[in-house]
Amino acid sequence: MSYQHAADNWFSAIIIGIITMAVLLNIFRAKAGAQLYIRRISGLDAIDEAIGRSTEMGRPVTMIPGLTAFGVVAVQALTIFKYITKQIAKFATPMRLLTADAAVYAVAQEAIHDAYNEAGRPDLYDPDSVRFLSDRQFAFASGVAGLIQRERVAANFMFGEFYAESLIFAETGNIVGAIQIAGTTSFTQVPFFVVACDYTIIGDEFYATSAYLSREPVLLGSMVGQDIAKFIFLLTIAVGTVASTMLGADHPFIKLLGMPGGWDAFWRHVLGGK
Amino acid sequence: MENRTFWQQMLLIDRRILYMILFANMIIFLLVPVKVKTVTSPPVRKFYDTIEQLHPGDMVMVSSNWGAGTIGESLPQFEAVIRHLMRKKLRFTILSFEPQARDISLRFATRFTKEGGYKYGEQWAHFGFMPSPAVAIKGMVKDLPATIKQDVKGIPISQLPVMRGVQTLADYKVVIDVTPSGTVSAWISYRPQNLKVLFCPTSVMAAEAYTFLDSGQVAGMLTGAIGAQEYEQLLGIEGLGTSFAKAISFSHALIILFVILGNIALFMSRRAQGG
Amino acid sequence: MWRIDTSTTAGQVFIGLIVLGFLAFFVGMIPLMQALPPRGRRLLIGAVTFLAGAIFAAEFFLPVDKKGENWLSPAIEPAQSTLQIINALALGLGTYGLMRLHLRNIVQKRAQWGYSVVLILAFLAMGFFSVWNTLAEKGELPKTGFLNKGFGLLFDNMYIPLDAAMFSLIAFYIFSAAYRAFRIRSIEASILMFTAMTVMIGIVMLGNIISYSWLGLPVEQTPEMEKNPFSPANIAYNLALPRVAYWILQVLNAPVQRAIEFGVGIGGLAMAIRLWLSLERGVT
Repeated sequence: MSYQHAADNWFSAIIIGIITMAVLLNIFRAKAGAQLYIRRISGLDAIDEAIGRSTEMGRPVTMIPGLTAFGVVAVQALTIFKYITKQIAKFATPMRLLTADAAVYAVAQEAIHDAYNEAGRPDLYDPDSVRFLSDRQFAFASGVAGLIQRERVAANFMFGEFYAESLIFAETGNIVGAIQIAGTTSFTQVPFFVVACDYTIIGDEFYATSAYLSREPVLLGSMVGQDIAKFIFLLTIAVGTVASTMLGADHPFIKLLGMPGGWDAFWRHVLGGK
Repeated sequence: MENRTFWQQMLLIDRRILYMILFANMIIFLLVPVKVKTVTSPPVRKFYDTIEQLHPGDMVMVSSNWGAGTIGESLPQFEAVIRHLMRKKLRFTILSFEPQARDISLRFATRFTKEGGYKYGEQWAHFGFMPSPAVAIKGMVKDLPATIKQDVKGIPISQLPVMRGVQTLADYKVVIDVTPSGTVSAWISYRPQNLKVLFCPTSVMAAEAYTFLDSGQVAGMLTGAIGAQEYEQLLGIEGLGTSFAKAISFSHALIILFVILGNIALFMSRRAQGG
Repeated sequence: MWRIDTSTTAGQVFIGLIVLGFLAFFVGMIPLMQALPPRGRRLLIGAVTFLAGAIFAAEFFLPVDKKGENWLSPAIEPAQSTLQIINALALGLGTYGLMRLHLRNIVQKRAQWGYSVVLILAFLAMGFFSVWNTLAEKGELPKTGFLNKGFGLLFDNMYIPLDAAMFSLIAFYIFSAAYRAFRIRSIEASILMFTAMTVMIGIVMLGNIISYSWLGLPVEQTPEMEKNPFSPANIAYNLALPRVAYWILQVLNAPVQRAIEFGVGIGGLAMAIRLWLSLERGVT
């Protein structure tokens, strides 16, 4: 048996449902005017400082969504890049957005164009500033590293999914003396960013970025919902740890917590093998 | 120009000098015939034992998703795995989720199987490339021939002798994912529960797999070329992993030496500045 | 219900009509989108997004039969294939953008335009031999010595070493980054440095040499050692660098990774819900 549908273990589906409800309820609560708090993330506070430095030096800003294929991570990365572009547009600082995914490239062109329009500077938009380099990992890495070197970028923003190429970007940026801010959901790349970048945004802080930058009620409410979901996970871990210590790892109750077929096994056990 | 002490110069050392030293170190230890027997790490031992427990004729799926970039780490793993499968007389099929990975795995598998006396179509086959891991695995769980349809040579897979008795992925015993990308999570999520997952990541990615090893969702792991070297040692062969592992080992030592020197330089410079 | 037999003429005509229908629908959508006020446009996009996401959600949540399928299951594969087709079209768009940029560089003789010439020549050469090679493998074009030499030169002798060289650069960058970053500046930095050094030594053969050859620590755990976990022999066995490195990875690293993974997963799920229900403004 494999886990392909909710029916393979209804417990997991119920948990997904509860998390969804927690997120949605808190979004509506925030929309209704509830005051919600989000802690300081110093890496995000440094974005404006990095843009200011690029403007002073007259050198471009690079934005790299990594190897992110089009999906939630890409949308989040582009949301952050759109915010950065709006700030850049105020000072007419040149920018380059470099992608490895053609679908992200197509959406990024629209997003960056919109950012210049919303900032009231549509004249500054250059279609060549958003570039698809290659969908091959290391061809993309060499393209990005070459551009960072040639154009001596002053600020480098890396947000998205990264693999082995992360250190090539970060170290090249370090060589040219760029201020670097990175945020990624790929936690194996976090150590590389930590040693080579000025600020690193780790794990789900990446998803908190848009809420932090925009302070939109929808996003802040969603953050509270996510915290409730984390509490549910913690509770499941605690209950699972105690139960597996007391009942053994093969007990139907443990299978209920995550194994495909666990729901049926649990109820068979409860109903006495019926 | 102000006069700098040796330690101050050490702190400001040009990174190109570091690169030169590392390059020389790698070349030397790739060429020097040093032989060291190492203790097998638990993930490699579990990997080996999982294959050893299989019976001749059992089916193994090799999910090969590496390309030219990671050839230094993935090829030693791939070679050791294929040689072990042939030694145990297991039937195996290869599937890639990337077009370049298909070409490169077909090329090397053809070479290794020729040396091992395996016949294409009878003891092994290559399923070519499928674009989406989740869709492909979900499909294979229900009906493998209908999902894959034909092999890399265009032969319908139901006509291949190697596929006798195989209808779904549940008829396989083990899947081995040789990959520098995130394909293993799709195997873990959608595989049939009886199918054990063995994982061959690059060194950079290995840290994230310890959660799956801990939970038993991954039954064993070879970490990069170092893992391949330990595996070759268990198999009693000297492949690419053994020679690469020497260079990697002494490069680690070199990095640590320079980290220590850097810290001494920092300490001495601070002392010279009186603080 | 979702399968069409393409071996029959009727099936082929039906497929053709579906393709033409979709084409007409999308072409018709363009003036409609332009005519609509921004609010209406957003509503339409929201409705399409919701419907597209609902197919996947419903397929996951609806009860299944004994084969593990429900009435929507056969639609998932075609839906995924459609996504692949959209990606392929986008790849064409990306390649066009790349070529346009570099041709402009050459025509306008922008700074370092020589690199653009190299890129376009490499693109044309690789494209020519790759297409020829693919068609030759299918038997649709002859496999000549020129093809073997050309493709071999470009793929085996240039592309593979160049790709591997880029990956190898990481080793050099790790060296310079570690040299720069691993400094005893604070307690946290010191813990980070010593942990990293222990794992680096412990996982390679040098850890074996130090622990077992130089220090003579026990290699295997005997049944007596297992019975007395606090015996000096067992403590010595567990202090070997490979054991300590494995313990760090398994006991310290794994829970942290798991915690981050939970956070990222929940964050992704929340973002997906916001996008599906058009609650996220973001890039839209």
